[in-house]
Amino acid sequence: MMTDCRARISLWIGTMLCLMTIGCQRQAVLEQGNAAYYWRTDLRLDTTERAFLKQHHIKKLYCRYFDVVINDEAAGPVPNATISFSDSLPEGVEIVPTVYIMENCMHEPHPGLAEKLVKRIIQINEANAIGNIREIQIDCDYTAKSRKTYYAFLKEVGKAWGKALSTTIRLHQLSMEAPAVDYGVLMIYNTGDPRKFVERNPILDIRDVAPYLKRLDGYPLPLAAAYPVYQWVRHIQGVRVEHTVEAEEILRVKQAVEKYRPSLSRAVITYHLDKENIKRYKPETYEEIYRH
Amino acid sequence: MKRFIAISLLMALTMPVLACFWVDTHNYYLYCVCNGSRFKERVEKICDDNWKAYLGSTEEYFWFNADEVIEAAKQKGDALMVSYVQNLKTYLDCVDTEQRKQYDWNYPSKEELAQQQKNLLAVRAYALGKTKSKLRSQHALLYMRCNMMLGRHQENITFWEQTASQFIDTVYKEMMKNIYAGALYKTGREAEAGEAFAEMSDYESLMTLYYKKRSYLAISQHYRQNPNSKVLPFMLEDFVNNAQEAIDLETGTFGGKLFIRDITKQEAWQMVQFCDQVVRDGKTETPIMWKTAKAWIEFLFGEKKEALKDINAAMKLEGTQRMKDNARELHIFITASQAKPGEEFDNQVVEDIEWLEGNEPNTNGQTYRFLSRYTHQVLTEHYANNPVRKAAILSAMSAYCYSGEFTECIDTMSVDYTEQYHLFTNTPGKNKLDKWLKARLNKDYSQQDLEDLIGTKYMRLCQWDKAIQWLQQVPAKYYDESGYRLYALLRKTDVEPWIKRQWILDSEVAKARQYNWTIRENPKLGFAKDMLMQESTLHILKGKALEQRCYNIAVRYAQADFRGDCWWLMRNSQSVNDTLRVHETDLKMKTREMLQVAAQSADPALREKALFALGYQNLYKHSDLWRESVWNEKTFEEEWHVNKQSPQYRAFSALADMEKQHKVSPYVSKCDEYIQFRKQYH
Repeated sequence: MMTDCRARISLWIGTMLCLMTIGCQRQAVLEQGNAAYYWRTDLRLDTTERAFLKQHHIKKLYCRYFDVVINDEAAGPVPNATISFSDSLPEGVEIVPTVYIMENCMHEPHPGLAEKLVKRIIQINEANAIGNIREIQIDCDYTAKSRKTYYAFLKEVGKAWGKALSTTIRLHQLSMEAPAVDYGVLMIYNTGDPRKFVERNPILDIRDVAPYLKRLDGYPLPLAAAYPVYQWVRHIQGVRVEHTVEAEEILRVKQAVEKYRPSLSRAVITYHLDKENIKRYKPETYEEIYRH
Repeated sequence: MKRFIAISLLMALTMPVLACFWVDTHNYYLYCVCNGSRFKERVEKICDDNWKAYLGSTEEYFWFNADEVIEAAKQKGDALMVSYVQNLKTYLDCVDTEQRKQYDWNYPSKEELAQQQKNLLAVRAYALGKTKSKLRSQHALLYMRCNMMLGRHQENITFWEQTASQFIDTVYKEMMKNIYAGALYKTGREAEAGEAFAEMSDYESLMTLYYKKRSYLAISQHYRQNPNSKVLPFMLEDFVNNAQEAIDLETGTFGGKLFIRDITKQEAWQMVQFCDQVVRDGKTETPIMWKTAKAWIEFLFGEKKEALKDINAAMKLEGTQRMKDNARELHIFITASQAKPGEEFDNQVVEDIEWLEGNEPNTNGQTYRFLSRYTHQVLTEHYANNPVRKAAILSAMSAYCYSGEFTECIDTMSVDYTEQYHLFTNTPGKNKLDKWLKARLNKDYSQQDLEDLIGTKYMRLCQWDKAIQWLQQVPAKYYDESGYRLYALLRKTDVEPWIKRQWILDSEVAKARQYNWTIRENPKLGFAKDMLMQESTLHILKGKALEQRCYNIAVRYAQADFRGDCWWLMRNSQSVNDTLRVHETDLKMKTREMLQVAAQSADPALREKALFALGYQNLYKHSDLWRESVWNEKTFEEEWHVNKQSPQYRAFSALADMEKQHKVSPYVSKCDEYIQFRKQYH
């Protein structure tokens, strides 16, 4: 069974990834292309968003299907805030169902969770007539405490799903061993310490990225790069904080990470697709972010 | 509501904004002219009461259970109710299928969704057939609910207009009207939907409808179409309260862009003029609402005299009871903000608060919001020069404060005032306000809290003798019940912090619990006595004895500092954001002064210790450290810039020079920071 699964994954990697050789020939690199995250609870694109997808040749939308949270310890992890589908995607844009899992769900194993999750994704697709799904992604801010459980969970998801599986990789997770997935999306945002919000932008600051740059080259998984284009509003210790990242800062970070790992320019994702985020930056900025 | 609007509107921002923040203050919206009884809460309560009456239930918390009602109806021989609730249950199952899409692992299949549609159609047909029965209103509501879920909005409009609107007034009819209003909205008849939602005080729906139509222009146009539109109070309330945000932005109280929505000062001023015009027109049945809005915007803009004139005029105009109450509330706020200090105002405060609290049951939260803002923006400002009265107000009005506001006030005032406050709490009041305040003082803050605080404040000033006078009144048991008891039990003030960090180990905590360790002596009193003894004999010492004593005192200062392991001596809690406060001695500076004396010692061991201690990072602010990290844009590397003028650099260099003569101790040679320093020091 395990051998079958591995064979499937290998075959998939063969078709999904472009196994180009770079430098020391250690890492596989991803197919070149542009993508975006979709993080709202209703799939409905307006004309600005559709035009954006077309203008920037976005062929892949990582679409958050639902979250997995623990509201009640006894009940275990449950889905939350499931997406509804009031619209369909433009032709040629592939949807990648993405599930965000709260880190505390991975503090201990939950038998059967991976199967339930995969089954739910499949049911959502069937009930809403969404076809041709080739890949799913799991997003979790795993830590040293949850890593082992999360990696085991990812293996179970891969087994239950049987097709391509990716996961998000936060900068601090680069120091850990890599999970058993086809590739990772390097989340180049939420890099700062929220307590120091006056000194540094917690969404992105080159000084917070810097300590991780040297780990990029050696990370064994193929990686795509995700950059923030959103505004963040939250309360910290009774203080309301709004943040956006300057375009120059995003591009400065892109330049830095690509210097240490040039292949990060091949698959670029923005977080997240929204009319307000599109208007936040000039089209030239987006062109620069998506530059390969 | 404020937060909801804020969040909703922030989601809709179209312009990029820079990082900004504001402190979560008591700046509640105070213009409140809409009826407080909200649709959702109101109908839920009546429905629950109806079911309870049918079941003969007296339970306070009622939860509808279809099976329970069916059983009760069967026992009563009420066949119609049995069939109604059976169908209602089927409808609720359809709702449940919809909810499963959100929260259940078992997402409904295509077949289940098809079955849901089939069931809705069946229930709909059943309900329509019973709309002339004894339970006509309930069945009619069920019919309209099914239509709503099926998207048959036009059918709901027709049904309401031709049938349901003729029914007698019940909660079910009101719920049908709400569905009807939703159907009007869904079919593009927004204005009619708005009037209907406003009549029902369904603010959530109104917000959805008028989300993008809340400008001066939209309101004035709406008024011209219908001067007595029921939507106008909602729109005006929303406008005035959002104008507050624009005004807060103008005053720049918190520095950054403080934004809720894009009402400019100019637009708010247009509204002020329009309010006057509406009152002059004489077409409105509620001129008080417009005049009060004018007064409040003027007040917020700082036009206080105009505001006072207009709020006085507003008090004489017509409107609903809520509008009249709101005018009186704002009258209190505006007049109090401009009142001169004196007995007359003091007496008025008591009278006003008693009226406001007496009116609380009718205000749906407005009283809390008002008194919270009134306490913090009027009363504490008015008594700013009387810290004792100010603290007493925060204590007496603690129901309208965030937790910790009184303690922060009393913790940060000077020790003299704290002593006066202590006296205030222990003597009879002389006037009406003081008597009223004393009767309401928050009992959660005890006399022992106050005595400990005064003693601690003297410790913060290093006035050990006075600290002892107060602390000796506080028993050890008091500290045994404090939040920092474990730290007080396990940490010592004579441990050199630059050599040993006093981590609290799990094993020690377990031991303390297992053997029920208790604090047997007042630890602050012990420290104050120790410091008094150490310092009072300092002047008679000389040479090595003096240098050693200075080193010992430095250790204690460093431990008692807010960054030290024994921070609990001076503070009740510790945070990464802590800084040196007013009315507090700079213990880091005093530590360094003492160490400078010890560092002159001819005894190499003491000199080495003192110099090493002078290199201790915790004794300096960031700019006084021997190096700082700087990001190099060209190399993408973090670089360290050495600051040779810094006191830490001087201490380390003296230590390094000493190392050239003598071998240093392991605690020096193994120190990471010193090793880094040595790499660049030659």
